[in-house]
Amino acid sequence: MDLIQNLELEILELREMLKNKEEDLREAKRNKFSKSYDNVIGTKSNINIGNIPKWAIERYSRQILLPDIGVMGQEKLMSSKVLIVGAGGLGCPASVYLAGAGIGEIGIVDYDTVDISNIHRQILHTESDWCKSKAKSAAESLRRINSNIKVTPYTIEFKPENAVQIASNYDLIIDCTDNVPTRYMLSDLSIITKVPLISGSALKMEGQLTIYGYRESRNEKSSGPCYRCLFPTPPPAAAVGSCSANGVAGPVPGAIGSLQALEAIKLLVGRNRENLLVGRMLIFDGEDMTFRTVKLRPKNPKCESCSDHATIKQLTNYEVLCKMQSKEKDLDLNILPQSHRISATELSKSLNTQRHLLIDVRSEAEYNMCHLEDSVNYPLEQLYGEKFDLLVENIKNNDNVIFICRRGNDSQIAADKILKVLPDAKIKDLSGGLHAWAEQVDRRFPIY
Amino acid sequence: MENSLNIHIHFGGGAELLFDKIKKHVVELPAARKYFPDTDIEKWRIKELLQWIKDNLLKERPELFLQGDSVRPGILVLINDADWELFGELEYELQNNDEITFISTLHGG
Ligand SMILES: [Zn+2]
Repeated sequence: MDLIQNLELEILELREMLKNKEEDLREAKRNKFSKSYDNVIGTKSNINIGNIPKWAIERYSRQILLPDIGVMGQEKLMSSKVLIVGAGGLGCPASVYLAGAGIGEIGIVDYDTVDISNIHRQILHTESDWCKSKAKSAAESLRRINSNIKVTPYTIEFKPENAVQIASNYDLIIDCTDNVPTRYMLSDLSIITKVPLISGSALKMEGQLTIYGYRESRNEKSSGPCYRCLFPTPPPAAAVGSCSANGVAGPVPGAIGSLQALEAIKLLVGRNRENLLVGRMLIFDGEDMTFRTVKLRPKNPKCESCSDHATIKQLTNYEVLCKMQSKEKDLDLNILPQSHRISATELSKSLNTQRHLLIDVRSEAEYNMCHLEDSVNYPLEQLYGEKFDLLVENIKNNDNVIFICRRGNDSQIAADKILKVLPDAKIKDLSGGLHAWAEQVDRRFPIY
Repeated sequence: MENSLNIHIHFGGGAELLFDKIKKHVVELPAARKYFPDTDIEKWRIKELLQWIKDNLLKERPELFLQGDSVRPGILVLINDADWELFGELEYELQNNDEITFISTLHGG
């Protein structure tokens, strides 16, 4: 075994030991604190510190000093339960501040594992958490920040089958997800379970934030709009971007996630709706550093989900509703017949003997980041009009055309588009895309 | 110019990608009667503005911005920073120096 492997193994063992010691320490502290708290109550004391223990005053003093929070507010925070859906770019900063603020119980849901490309923005995960469950990694970091709160990781996919049961145990849901179907599900879930939803989103240099399904108390009807009041119909899939395809600057979800935590704190301590982002949306553009708060429409009296005439009484299949996958990684298109596909290994052999026209259909930004030598860039999103005609001309004179993209989905869509106008074209699609190339042919090619 | 309007058009949330990646446009709309000569249209409403945007700013893939005679689902339309639903949506009559924002909702996180 080489030195690196040895050290990695050793560090892993030490970390495990450290984790156990930390758990022991937390347990010991919990016991001691609850006893000393009893002592104060037990002996007649002439110190008046309200209904929260001494350690809590000391620990949370900086926020208790705020008139917006105070001792009463702190008590509410300490008895509140918040569910954070998504332990990513938004969920990490949101949960850091909520753990710091002493929220009694934090649940954090994420089925995914930590990837090295997450770390620039998902601040609860470190290099040593690579491949670990995001929910567990986040929970461990949160416990390190505050050992006085209860943190429950849910390492499962949040689905219609389990969402209601989980969410019913919480006072507030924070939407830190990254896809359209889950956002529709969380809105319906918030109405069905009567738990308000603080919804944040971020992409590239922009972010958005608002509260859906707000109600004065659990027994009252919601008085603010829900997601469906604003967007009764889901957007077309072609118009939806993602962090992995379009990129995102780390501090953007950082800012939005932090503000989600602030709205959560305000809502839990009982600030009134005029002071909350109810019926208003915060729109942040990091490109020119503008924050705008815009006025939204009121609750739709005919809303399918939240009105008196609601027809949605239980969660449904949101991938069907939105005609989109919730997990980007699962998309595995099979548009082209086998005769029009080529594996990475075969392509690499073929490249040694023949000339090929390699057409990379990823975005310009992706192409500029890394591409195969001699490949040309025709982004799928620009394949119409003149650009499309140009490519068709180019392909007509070529016997060996290969379409390439990241995972082998977009390249099939592009190849299919060409085959519709040139049915006899000698076109093949690189099966599995550049990821397959990196795995089967050239490990030096970055997998992103 | 008689009856022309200065309008600020703002695209965001990715909608700007359909408009040469430019987020802020300041445009001068001619008198509605001149722009729509063979009709009885006399005023600029959002409805007419969408037609103007389609004719003048939107070069390709109109289906990612428009659907029927309105904007596609998932785009929030704001009139001077307030939801267009509060002002009659397509029927709102444009005023000089209005700011009309088309913002695509974000889903990433
Ligand atoms: Zn609604």
